[in-house]
Amino acid sequence: MNETSPRWGMTIDLNRCVGCQTCTIACKHANDTTPGVQWRSVIDVETGQYPDVQRLFLVTGCQHCAEPSCVPVCPTGATKQRADGLVTMDYELCIGCASCAVACPYQARTIVHDPGFYYGEETVQERAVAHDERIGVAQKCTFCITRVDDGLAAGLSPGIDVDATPACAASCIASAITFGDFNNPESPVSKLAEANDYFQMHGELGNDPQIKYLYQTPSVPGRDPEEPGPYEEEPPEGALTGQLQKFWDMRAAMNFILGGLGSGAVVVAYLLSLANDVPFAGLRIVFSIAAAVMAVGLFFVWLKIGRKLRAAFVILRPHSSWMSREVYAVAVFAAGLIGAWMLPHPGWLALAALGAALFLYAQARILQAGKGIPAWRTPRMIWMLILSGLAEGAGLNAVIAGLLPWALPTGFALPIAGIVLVVIAASLWRSYVDNAKAEGIGAKARAVLSKATPRLYVIGHLAPIVGYFALITWTAAPIWLFAVPGVLVIAGGAYWKAVVITRAAHFQGFALAKYPRRGSGRFAAPLSVG
Amino acid sequence: MDQTTPKKTVPTFCYQCVAGPDLMRVEVEGGIATRIESNYSIGNEHPGGGRVCVKAYGLIQKTYNPDRVRTPMKRTNPKKGRDEDPGFVPISWDEALDTVAGKLRKAIDDGLTDTSGYPRIAASFGGGGTPTQYMGTFPAFLAALGNVDLGFGAGQGVKCYHSEHLYGELWHRAFIVAPDTPRVNYILSCGHNGDASTGVAGIWRHADARVRGMKRVQVEPHQSITGAVSAEWIPIKPKTDAAFLYGVIHRILHERDWRADCDIPFLKDDTVAPYLVGPNGYYLRDPETRKPLIHDLADGINKPFDGDISDAALEGSFTVSGIEVGADADEWSHDAIQARTAHQVLLDHMKPYDPEWAAAECDVPADRIRSVADEFIANACVGETIEIEGETLPFRPVAVLLGKTVNNGWGGYNCCWARTLLLCLVGALEVPGGMIGTNVKLNRPAYDRFTSAVKGPDGVMEFPFNATTKNEWQSQPHIRNAYRTLVPLVANSAWSSALGPAHLPWLFQKSPPKNWPEPTKPDIWFCYRTNPAISSWNTPEVTKRMAEFPFTVAFAYTYDETNHMADILLPEATDLESTQLIQIGGTKFVEQLWTHQGWTIRQPACETEVDCRDMTDIATELAVRTGILEPYNAAINKGGHGVRLATKDFDYRLDETQPHSLEEIWNASAKAASHDLSGGEEINDLDWFKEHGYMLRPFPQLDWYLYPHMKKNGIRFELPYQERILRHGTQLARRLHGIGVEWWDVQLEEYEPLPAYKPFPDIWTEHVREAGGDPDDFPLWALTSRSMQYSWGLNVGIPMINEVAQNVSGHKGLIINRGTAEGLGLAEGDPVVIQSVAGETRGYAVLREGIRPDTVVMIGQFDHWKTPFAKDLNLPSLNSLTSMSLSLTDSTGSGADIARVRVMRGDGPPRPEE
Repeated sequence: MNETSPRWGMTIDLNRCVGCQTCTIACKHANDTTPGVQWRSVIDVETGQYPDVQRLFLVTGCQHCAEPSCVPVCPTGATKQRADGLVTMDYELCIGCASCAVACPYQARTIVHDPGFYYGEETVQERAVAHDERIGVAQKCTFCITRVDDGLAAGLSPGIDVDATPACAASCIASAITFGDFNNPESPVSKLAEANDYFQMHGELGNDPQIKYLYQTPSVPGRDPEEPGPYEEEPPEGALTGQLQKFWDMRAAMNFILGGLGSGAVVVAYLLSLANDVPFAGLRIVFSIAAAVMAVGLFFVWLKIGRKLRAAFVILRPHSSWMSREVYAVAVFAAGLIGAWMLPHPGWLALAALGAALFLYAQARILQAGKGIPAWRTPRMIWMLILSGLAEGAGLNAVIAGLLPWALPTGFALPIAGIVLVVIAASLWRSYVDNAKAEGIGAKARAVLSKATPRLYVIGHLAPIVGYFALITWTAAPIWLFAVPGVLVIAGGAYWKAVVITRAAHFQGFALAKYPRRGSGRFAAPLSVG
Repeated sequence: MDQTTPKKTVPTFCYQCVAGPDLMRVEVEGGIATRIESNYSIGNEHPGGGRVCVKAYGLIQKTYNPDRVRTPMKRTNPKKGRDEDPGFVPISWDEALDTVAGKLRKAIDDGLTDTSGYPRIAASFGGGGTPTQYMGTFPAFLAALGNVDLGFGAGQGVKCYHSEHLYGELWHRAFIVAPDTPRVNYILSCGHNGDASTGVAGIWRHADARVRGMKRVQVEPHQSITGAVSAEWIPIKPKTDAAFLYGVIHRILHERDWRADCDIPFLKDDTVAPYLVGPNGYYLRDPETRKPLIHDLADGINKPFDGDISDAALEGSFTVSGIEVGADADEWSHDAIQARTAHQVLLDHMKPYDPEWAAAECDVPADRIRSVADEFIANACVGETIEIEGETLPFRPVAVLLGKTVNNGWGGYNCCWARTLLLCLVGALEVPGGMIGTNVKLNRPAYDRFTSAVKGPDGVMEFPFNATTKNEWQSQPHIRNAYRTLVPLVANSAWSSALGPAHLPWLFQKSPPKNWPEPTKPDIWFCYRTNPAISSWNTPEVTKRMAEFPFTVAFAYTYDETNHMADILLPEATDLESTQLIQIGGTKFVEQLWTHQGWTIRQPACETEVDCRDMTDIATELAVRTGILEPYNAAINKGGHGVRLATKDFDYRLDETQPHSLEEIWNASAKAASHDLSGGEEINDLDWFKEHGYMLRPFPQLDWYLYPHMKKNGIRFELPYQERILRHGTQLARRLHGIGVEWWDVQLEEYEPLPAYKPFPDIWTEHVREAGGDPDDFPLWALTSRSMQYSWGLNVGIPMINEVAQNVSGHKGLIINRGTAEGLGLAEGDPVVIQSVAGETRGYAVLREGIRPDTVVMIGQFDHWKTPFAKDLNLPSLNSLTSMSLSLTDSTGSGADIARVRVMRGDGPPRPEE
């Protein structure tokens, strides 16, 4: 960015805000948002335990991060960042995949498929301000980009002239929200940030959010966050607690379940073929079955996106989006498989296996890029998805080996590989669960994970290991028995992915790195007796 | 959308709540009002930066609400009741107006008053005077009718700062008080939820003050919005604020060195603290001049208060000869008796109320009571001065605020007195930095606080008490709430009927008291911007009573619980559809302290398909059809609609013999208003106001403070001692007993010259027993708290308001302490039933830590069963739980929003997630 370019941002003074929701509703007016959609919202936060309690109001919304995690994950380029820092939305380009929504640590994005009307029926006013282009696509605070741009064009100063200032800041009846140019040291926001202590929310995530929260005034100096009360475990759920994401449901999970399974099966089968004497036609059948599995997964995710007819736009951002790259990996895989059918040559299957490996890796990166979801964003997630995909793939190979032994003759290699992969997957899961709290995964998500863990260990890990082991030791076992551990490991993989993606997928929530020193009991401001 | 009509913005105002008005612009596209925005152009003059609050933004949905009453309607089912379908059918405006006018004509022909001496016509309006800012010339119509009972309350007395209104006007012309927020440094707030209730101006000014370093300590049972943003929240047992304040005063008077801490010159020269008090409780007076005496330490002589006094004695007792003048001119002559100064009486009075005593009563640690007192003194800056517009004034940057429930009902007098006394002790009353009044409603004239502040014979301000002397007492109530008969302090202005015991008409309808006129029902009852069926105390009971009224006319926006009982519904043009010119600026109500004053306009921004009419047109039509056009026009000419059309300087009067269009009326009003404001220099018509929105002229900041006026006129603040209260109480007791009324005896005990503390919570506990219950069965205190998003706005049927209000805790149900809830087996969102001896309400549990374990809170006023949208919110309401009872009514006719309750798990599933 050049020196003359502004960097738009806000300061929000926690000591000014009274939680009146004027900014919330002014935003709704200025931006014509539909029922339940709040680009700007003020949450009512309570910490501590009676009689030591603090209550405050926290303005939330898009932070127009300097390093926005929503932008690189967008597969179409609908979400971009301008030179002045504003993170923008192109509704005509967005496919509604929600990658941005789960990548945002600030719960700033919404996708509305059926906007509805406030009174149940549409009023003439609602029709007059309707934005049909926002249906099924991501939407969020724009910092009232039109007001800013129009204001600049009219020679106004955003942050100083109200008509060029975001509606929330302009309307605020406590002057709690100030908008302006952080690159201009003379701007009100720069001066406020210079003169006051502030924190940026979730600064540790590296997004460099451009909302700076001022937290102290002379009468209520700041304090570090501390254990809010004598709770034995964690404080009860409150306004800061992240809620379960609802953007990616079982349809999205199916892509990870079936995609990981299919791609893992291809990779494992190809590796087995290097060790065993697998006929070309058999390997091609295995790849084809896996392809069908992957295709069903992709079909499910297509059902999930908000703008289905725009699905092809997904290829537009391979330089940053793992979702785009996933599609390219599919193309490589498909080319290899089609080639293998058109012109039988082992090279095609090698190409297909490479595509599947890329696909598996891309999928792992897609989920791990969900930076707003602590249960997803841990680096372990990449390895978990890859290794589980391979273990499940081995399982699918075992099923095929059991049902179509001609296609995939296996020796001990498959069950041994299956055991090794399941053991690694189980170890990763244990490490994931053991480190969940340290990784910032919240109590609600951890509870879900804890509940799922014994089932996963038994069905997805222990039982398949026993099964594989039995196949190794019981040489007279009927060949179809290979399907049993295979099915179990596939079920285990499907189970944990469904749990992690749809049930343990709580947002980061909100947090204050510093608090004003105010409230009752030990939170109270110091005495003022001269 | 009609693309041919360009986008425009229409300036208008929002006065949905008492803290207004605030100015806004309505964006209109193709004739449709699309958005609301603040009118920022007035940002430098408006004390709230020119902003409007959250409520204003609901007006778009209000306008296009599909549930609106779309034509006049009449009732076809003669039976009335909650369970009766009114059978409303559309009728023409002609039929509606003729029907109403016919009833009015008959009432006039029948003589306007009925057999009990009560007006045959009654009208009820919402609180705070906000309906007046919307009802066009309807007040002139009421004035033309001549005799209308405005005393059927819609929650007044229990929902307002009642004691502050009455005692505030008595002591410092302060119907409402405010800190001098731009200068105050320390605020002690007992439950004053200003950051939810003082509107844009209050929130704007207080946010600035906090950032400047002002410290506020909030004392209340539940951590309100204001408690949240205060430097400290101190939980206190409900209704024990007086004990807390008495403990603070004790600390100052008996544990610290008050002679060093307090503003001694102020106490000596500007209060009645040095007045000598006789053995019967009345001032000792000079027999010759009959003026109260002060002991001059300089020469040891007792002198009339306005004599040549060098060093007035504040403490001690002195040998005095003189007379005492008691009730009904009873007189005692004393010769060389020992008499204490009022201040000494105060010192003795406060002696027992030490912080340990207070702590036991109010559950605030004694150390904290002491430190609050110490902080208050440390911040009072006694002795300092400040220059305001060239004049040097005392600078005392401390204030004490009282919230609702603290400020009304039993204990309200004690709290108001203690609060005002605290400020007096350090000279912080009506001076820069301290606590000031904003307006008068009981004293007249209403246009400023100073004109009525006239020195009386005892050196304190005159006050228009309702007479209690034998000859002048109004033994026959002139309206059903009998304010002139029962409440001397409520005076007799246009506001007094609403500030009297406005629940008594409802209460007496059910059970008439002894030796009292028969509680007749009004022949005609008008309702406008009010919904007493949900906003009173004991709303189920009020609802039953109003169902008995023979003919009710309701101006109706949607169906609601009150107009469910109406006979005629008149859909009036609402906020964005109607025209009116109102005053802005100066000083008024809550934190509206301007450095400008002027006028602003409300004007139609859009048209809808609703067949509604402007209130001015309705009033004119009714005047014509009722045959009172000339007195109606005369009332308009006199300013009955808010603008005097003629003074000695100008004459824009209307022809009184002809009906006038609303444009003609408001055009003349615009010219008169602008002429008056500018001294004739700038005369603007209606079109000018429609284009520009408002007109302002400077208003001196010196006029924020009464103290300079008091000094200039040699008037003393009537504190600490309340001789006049004692006298009126004694006289009133004699009068009432004279006609056999004994049911007001408990109230009469409150007329004390220095109010003694009583265990006020016990009154409500005892009421449980009185109602046949066992107090142990109702272990919790139920309170309410302000919802800024909803209060006053009649906007409970607006979904967008509901949506954003959900972000604020408590809008989803009953706020209950988490530990208490868990003890009851309740989890977040569980259905709950809340019961008192008066009734029951239902909702869902909202678990919080910021509330005392013995207290539950239901914010706002909900419990709707008819209002569209609102009836499906499933929110609990305290109004269904509060008893309407004489035993819970204080001497000023006020009750408090509090009840003893029990909470139980309700039936059904938990609150659905959004």
